[in-house]
Amino acid sequence: MAKTKKQNIRNFCIIAHIDHGKSTLADRLLEMTGQVSARDMEEQLLDSMDLERERGITIKLTPARMYYTAKNGEEYVFNLIDTPGHVDFSYEVSRSLAACEGAILVVDATQGVQAQTLANVYLALDNDLEILPVINKIDLASADIEGTKAEIEDTIGLDCSSAPLISAKNGINIEKVLEKIITDLPAPVGDDDAPLKALIFDSYYDNFKGVICFVRIKDGSVKVGNKIKTFLSDKIFEVTEVGTFSPNLTPRASLSAGEVGYIAASIKSVQDTRVGDTFTDADNPAKEPLPGYKEALPVVFSGVYPLDGSKFNDLKEAISKLKLNDASLTFEAENSMALGFGFRCGFLGLLHMEIIQQRIEREFDLEIITTAPSVSYKVYKTDGEMVMVENPSKLPDIDKIDYMEEPIISANIYTPPDYVGPIMDLCQEKRGVFEDMTYVDAKRVRLKYKLPLNEIIFDFFDGLKSRTRGYASFDYELSGYEKSDLVKLDMYLNGDICDALAIIVHREKAYARGRAIAERLKEVIPRQMFEIPIQAAIGGKIIARETVKALRKDVLAKCYGGDITRKKKLLEKQKEGKKKMRRLGTVEIPSEAFMSILKIDSD
Amino acid sequence: MAGIYIHVPFCKQKCTYCDFASYPREIGKAELYFGCLYKEMKSRSMALKNKTFDTVYFGGGTPSIVDPKLILGCMRLIKQCFNLSEDAEVTLEINPGTMDRNKLRVYKEAGINRFSVGLQVADDGILRSLNRIHNTEDFVNTAKILQGYNFSADVMIGLIGETEEILQKTLDLAVDNGAKHLSVYALKAEEGTPMYSKYLNGDLPDEDAVRDLYDFTVSYLAQKGFNRYEVSNFALSGYHSRHNLNYWKRGEYIGFGVAASSFIDGRRFTNTESIDEYVHCLLSDRYAEIFSEDIVGEEAKFEYLMLRLRTALGVNFSEYKSTFGSDFYTDFKQKLPSVIKYMDVDDNRIKIKDEYLYVQNNIIIQFMD
Repeated sequence: MAKTKKQNIRNFCIIAHIDHGKSTLADRLLEMTGQVSARDMEEQLLDSMDLERERGITIKLTPARMYYTAKNGEEYVFNLIDTPGHVDFSYEVSRSLAACEGAILVVDATQGVQAQTLANVYLALDNDLEILPVINKIDLASADIEGTKAEIEDTIGLDCSSAPLISAKNGINIEKVLEKIITDLPAPVGDDDAPLKALIFDSYYDNFKGVICFVRIKDGSVKVGNKIKTFLSDKIFEVTEVGTFSPNLTPRASLSAGEVGYIAASIKSVQDTRVGDTFTDADNPAKEPLPGYKEALPVVFSGVYPLDGSKFNDLKEAISKLKLNDASLTFEAENSMALGFGFRCGFLGLLHMEIIQQRIEREFDLEIITTAPSVSYKVYKTDGEMVMVENPSKLPDIDKIDYMEEPIISANIYTPPDYVGPIMDLCQEKRGVFEDMTYVDAKRVRLKYKLPLNEIIFDFFDGLKSRTRGYASFDYELSGYEKSDLVKLDMYLNGDICDALAIIVHREKAYARGRAIAERLKEVIPRQMFEIPIQAAIGGKIIARETVKALRKDVLAKCYGGDITRKKKLLEKQKEGKKKMRRLGTVEIPSEAFMSILKIDSD
Repeated sequence: MAGIYIHVPFCKQKCTYCDFASYPREIGKAELYFGCLYKEMKSRSMALKNKTFDTVYFGGGTPSIVDPKLILGCMRLIKQCFNLSEDAEVTLEINPGTMDRNKLRVYKEAGINRFSVGLQVADDGILRSLNRIHNTEDFVNTAKILQGYNFSADVMIGLIGETEEILQKTLDLAVDNGAKHLSVYALKAEEGTPMYSKYLNGDLPDEDAVRDLYDFTVSYLAQKGFNRYEVSNFALSGYHSRHNLNYWKRGEYIGFGVAASSFIDGRRFTNTESIDEYVHCLLSDRYAEIFSEDIVGEEAKFEYLMLRLRTALGVNFSEYKSTFGSDFYTDFKQKLPSVIKYMDVDDNRIKIKDEYLYVQNNIIIQFMD
């Protein structure tokens, strides 16, 4: 295949709010450029993970290469790099942005610009990307095309006079988008003859080929047999395969400046080729790496334990494998009195956490117990030492603590003015401090609040959704640490302390939360052969008590016609249910109990 | 020792809790169905010629709703095809309101010597809400007809609106009218029944309420001289149900008709629930089995425990050894420590303590792998 001239390459991503049609537009572009025939096409091809398709969200980046013969008669290569839409994954967004020169902004003409879209647009602008606005869903009765254009012009300052008006779903005006990509988005620049500089923007582990690195070649070129290295590791790899995405891996002879593709080089561990690092020639290295992007730090931590204690190594393997594809996931082994050996994992946010849990269960067929998430506290001890505490049960003794600091976020909440009151109430309850309130446009205001992150992980999203009937949206960034009067809330089951249920909470909230958690546990812990007291305590002082009554009825009824088999199956089912429980001392606890203590503020 | 079960899948109308194989609209197929029953019995008889049967049980449905001659036909054939012991217990389930003296004469001729009467509850309002076809008075009349016969009464606990007073009235009504045996089962809302939506709505009495009624039943019937020989079955001395006890002892039985289960020579098998499919199979010279499994090894031992631990007798160590050729303690060494505090043990046997009999599932599943 002839090498494509750089001016005939376009590397771009699509930015859109959830449900605004990003995946559908991507599908149409692939279809129009003949990468996938409409008939064979599985809906929403780029969202290949089951979870993504189920939830209608994009998590992993899946690039695709397309060939398009433009009206000017020239053939172009498009590299579409998908981006996730959720706030938890803004790190992944920045990774894909770094591989692009342009971005298509898809806005739903029936809904207008959403908060999350704005956040990603600003990220793209920060990365010097050219932005092509596209108005989608124009064929719906409720579409407000002019209003949407005006909103984009007002809020982002993009000229929308020639923005393609499309329906991705029904294939209207897709060709206009293809032409605009050529005229409005810049071609890549770069020096083919300079030493190789290839930005690694994603990677995954393949059982046969080793780590597959997704790269954007900025300078130079790479082909099979080249010896390459990265800047962060001394290891030298021999390239075994290079290629492009169509969207399946398609081997090619070489990749050169401006192109997006993949490199396989028998790389054993993703740790050797970190996302954000730069590949260069081993023999003729570039002087300095490409600017990596800001590494996203995990902000939410939770313990992940195998339900079956003997599966620790399987869990380790599963998390390690997920880590290969997910640089933002962190983990280290920990030991809980209650749960045995497991891992303290760090996540970008609650959605990220939930997705990792589900992937462990589905892709590795492992049943796990996840403890309620915590944030990372700075604990200043009386001896002058400062320790970071991510696991409440690891909090030093109270008499050894001088003071503690908790992470604070600065939150932007976008809402129609009608809901300002309920949102302010919610933020108040969550110990928030008002910062600012301004109009975004005629219909929406932006509230800025400083909030403790540990309040956000306790049901903030659900509270926001229910109080604004889903109209408000929300993004945040970590703004720092602040001193706070925090205490550890311990839970006792049948008289035994259960470390996996401990949380760190603000003193003012401790009593209410202790009571609520005890009540919640009473609901989720099934009755057993004996009575189980549940107690909440601060520093050994009991502040709340509930009781799970002893089981009183658990017997199979009559066996009509002697159907013993059916009875046995019922017992087997009961036994299976029991196996899903975790035994703490004498008490059996369903695995969801550990997370359920999060859901207490919603009532 | 073995039993014969015959399923009569017809009734006048479905009760709101019923999920058994019983079809009110199919009553027109009764003769055809019994013809197939006869054929199934004859076909199976050769393979069973070495077994002796001591119990026969006609269950349903409402066996008393079909022409009693069909029951008589069954019994004639049974006596002809199987070794039925002289003193066999032959039970017929009946519904109050479907019984009269003419029917009784035919049943007597057929050799029925025990009746199981579906009383359920002595409250006409509750009976109506369950869509039962009878009222309290019907029960009294049926009991009168049955004077001099051995009969049992079925009672339900955990019904909506069933108070302790109503339950006491129910138990009194049964005992005072001559029932020698009572089966007292808690209502279970089965999926697909009208009762299930009541369950989903949270209308049914909770676990504690049901247990209170059960405890009341146990102590009240004890005062009346009824012994709890199985978790839900109570009898005056000598009047326990031999047929049901055979199930709990893991004895053998052959079941005929739709949805009937059998356990013969270590094999459990069950017939289709569909009358049409059953008839079609039999007319095509095939059995209507839809499920079959051989129970061997550990599973057989577990079944033995699961069934015997329902009874007041529990597991007898020497019987266990003569059945399986192995020692009970050796077989369940690993499992016993977690449950031993809920068990009564002496030199000869192990049983669930009285106060834990009603939470036995939780104990029994500990013996599972």
